[in-house]
Amino acid sequence: MLPIDCARRLVSELQGALDSCSERQRQLERSLRVSRRLLRAWEPAGTPAPEPPPEPETKEEDPTPACTPSAQDLKELELLTQALEKAVRVRKGMSKAGQDRAPSLTSTSIATPSGTTASAQPQVSSQTGSHASSTRPTKGIHQAPAPTKDHPECRLISGGVRTQVKMGAQATRHGAGFRDQQIPPSAALQATEAFTLKEMGLWAQLSSTQTSDFTDATRAAKTQFLQKLQMASGWPSHRPSAAEVEVHAQSLRKACALLRLRMQEELSTVPADWMQEYRCLLTLEGLQAIIRQCLHRLQMLRAAVTEQLPGPWLVEKPSQALSPYGSKVDFSWSPEPLFYSSTQELQTLATLKLQVSMLNQQIHLEKVLMAELLPLINTQEPRGPPWLALCRAAYSLLCEGSEHFLTVLQDD
Amino acid sequence: MGRRRCRATGALPQAIATLSRSLPAGPSPEIFRRAKFDRPEAAPVLWQLLFRVLAPPAADSTWSSLAPEAQAQVVKSALHSLGYPRPVLAQFPEGSRELLLALSWLLARGPLLEQLLDKTRVQLGDQLPQFEALGSLGPPVLHVETEGPMDLRRVQWLMGKLRFRWRHLISSQQEQCTLLGKIHLYTSGCHSHQNLGHLSVTETEMLRDPESSQQLLQALECENTRLEAALEWRCCELVFWQWMDTVLDACPVEGPSVASQPTVLPMISEHGLGELELIEQELQALQEELQEVAESRRAAWEAQVRGLGRGPEWGTTRKALQESVERELAALQGSWEQSSRSDQLHRPHRLVRSKEGAPGPQGLRAAEVIRMLSAQEACLKRMLHQLQSQCQQELARLSGTLPDLIWILAPRH
Repeated sequence: MLPIDCARRLVSELQGALDSCSERQRQLERSLRVSRRLLRAWEPAGTPAPEPPPEPETKEEDPTPACTPSAQDLKELELLTQALEKAVRVRKGMSKAGQDRAPSLTSTSIATPSGTTASAQPQVSSQTGSHASSTRPTKGIHQAPAPTKDHPECRLISGGVRTQVKMGAQATRHGAGFRDQQIPPSAALQATEAFTLKEMGLWAQLSSTQTSDFTDATRAAKTQFLQKLQMASGWPSHRPSAAEVEVHAQSLRKACALLRLRMQEELSTVPADWMQEYRCLLTLEGLQAIIRQCLHRLQMLRAAVTEQLPGPWLVEKPSQALSPYGSKVDFSWSPEPLFYSSTQELQTLATLKLQVSMLNQQIHLEKVLMAELLPLINTQEPRGPPWLALCRAAYSLLCEGSEHFLTVLQDD
Repeated sequence: MGRRRCRATGALPQAIATLSRSLPAGPSPEIFRRAKFDRPEAAPVLWQLLFRVLAPPAADSTWSSLAPEAQAQVVKSALHSLGYPRPVLAQFPEGSRELLLALSWLLARGPLLEQLLDKTRVQLGDQLPQFEALGSLGPPVLHVETEGPMDLRRVQWLMGKLRFRWRHLISSQQEQCTLLGKIHLYTSGCHSHQNLGHLSVTETEMLRDPESSQQLLQALECENTRLEAALEWRCCELVFWQWMDTVLDACPVEGPSVASQPTVLPMISEHGLGELELIEQELQALQEELQEVAESRRAAWEAQVRGLGRGPEWGTTRKALQESVERELAALQGSWEQSSRSDQLHRPHRLVRSKEGAPGPQGLRAAEVIRMLSAQEACLKRMLHQLQSQCQQELARLSGTLPDLIWILAPRH
């Protein structure tokens, strides 16, 4: 039996873990529903379709019951795409005059295939974001190396048409002729593309204004305001906030765990010769030095928190720009791509991420259980059968991750 | 970067209007003016704004349905944990001037607007779900009902339930990966950007469903408006800060009342200080252990080495070993000093299927991330095993007091 307050703490901790797990499950289910719905058009319900085979199939594709696009289909669609691209190019050449957005799309996408780095791209998009002169877009188009490949909206439109064609043939939802549906999606995509590019440009400008000249006066005004507020509140010096202390504490905790781990590794290996012994010795002494540093940091932290020390210790960590959410944030103008090559790889990646998160939670729970159960076992005096049951349960929880149970025999 | 042309910086209301436009649910300049004079009608709006600003990123719909008092509580505790120096806002709902000062404090000390905009960014690509760090500010803990003293078996049952949920989560995630892989494969060649190559779920959805594309467009439009406002704000904010100085001056001087409450609110709780003490104790224990071992081994080694002859390569070997150990230890030290690589993992990444790996210099490769995560996983497993064996020793010690017991452990696989 557990006392009430102990039980309450344990249950609330575990319940929190269960709730966060359920929340993630709910989000995942939501994404699964969306993905399944999208795939139903390619693979009508009932037929679990395999991945498209690498070797080309010889038989003609049957439009109605076919599920997976075979290599043959892809080739046909590629031809269709090219034909459409040509058509769109012709159409665009005629209507280029009035459009402000279309040139901005092409000139920016021209920049993309030529292998620009992240720093170059914002400059291009920011130039197109503001009202660029018409000479720039035309120059961009003439620079196109491969005519078929560098018309993004053709791609988008053809992509839209391609999927529409595929789905128009198979799915009943898009039964109403695909021509009517061709316009809205591609127009929406064009608009999205334009907005996204504008957004990227704006982000780039926003991060660059941090270092501009005329913000020096602003920075001075802000610092003055902060100092004035600090003075008016009665605490003349800056004391580390709970969030800052937590960050440092976390890093020190991690340091402790890793140092102990390393020490055990060194102590468990038996050195073969004097060189290895020397190496082991150097490592141990090096660990000692690191621990001394950590202790010093900790003591400075405690002093700054409990007394009113002016904060020179904070200068030690200038790289940690603390946000309200406790982590250093870097605003890039677009999320970096993460390239994977097969479904297997993606699965491994996702599973590993989950397992790291799970292990973190397990370690946290282990510490909580240790803090609650071990003192309990220590202090419970009558060492009778209920105490044994407690020990047994505690052993399985703490030492086996509640996967195995042990047996206790009493030898009378 | 003088590309952005600023408006006339003289107008204060214009600057404030720009600030409002860049904030989520930004109040009108009139509210700001009223707040300077501590008018009560400005307070509720400012409480709500601060709540929107300070609520953690993982906040879901249950947060916004909290009662205003609860929201105010969240705001107060968040400000406190961030180290807001002013004696925290006395009662709800008054104190609009204090709220204005709190907002300005948040704006002044960090890139608040950028962080808020980043929080609400429209993501067009597919991402692996990001997991918040443990112990982050969770929703106000609901009261846990306990029917009197509880059996430990309930805890065991909850742990088992948790393990089962994790397994379920992992299998659902694997299914989602399969589906994503298929969608990426089927839409390959459709995207305008060469290096992306295929559509994401959001983009495919947009093509299929005009309504969702409208929603997305609206969201993008809204975001762009806020971004533009934020840029304009950067030009005009000097006027705002000069005005805030006057607001501070308008506050009644606290004077002797502050001195009379020196510990008005401790910056860090008892719990926090206790934690620091625990860490210190652990470190000191480690230090003592190491000292014992290192000293005896050093003495032994010196004795051993004195007997051997000192060859010419003695000095160079020693130096090489020293350097190698230094490097290793520096790497070890770097692993807990928030390395940039692990931070990079926490940024959302757009998943892109590509046969030949990353085509350009930009972008991460899955194989590399897998390597990093495997190393992290191995390290965490070791830490867990170490904790478990620590418990084992402790329990063995405690139960060893009863000699006539035999503990039969389950066979370990």
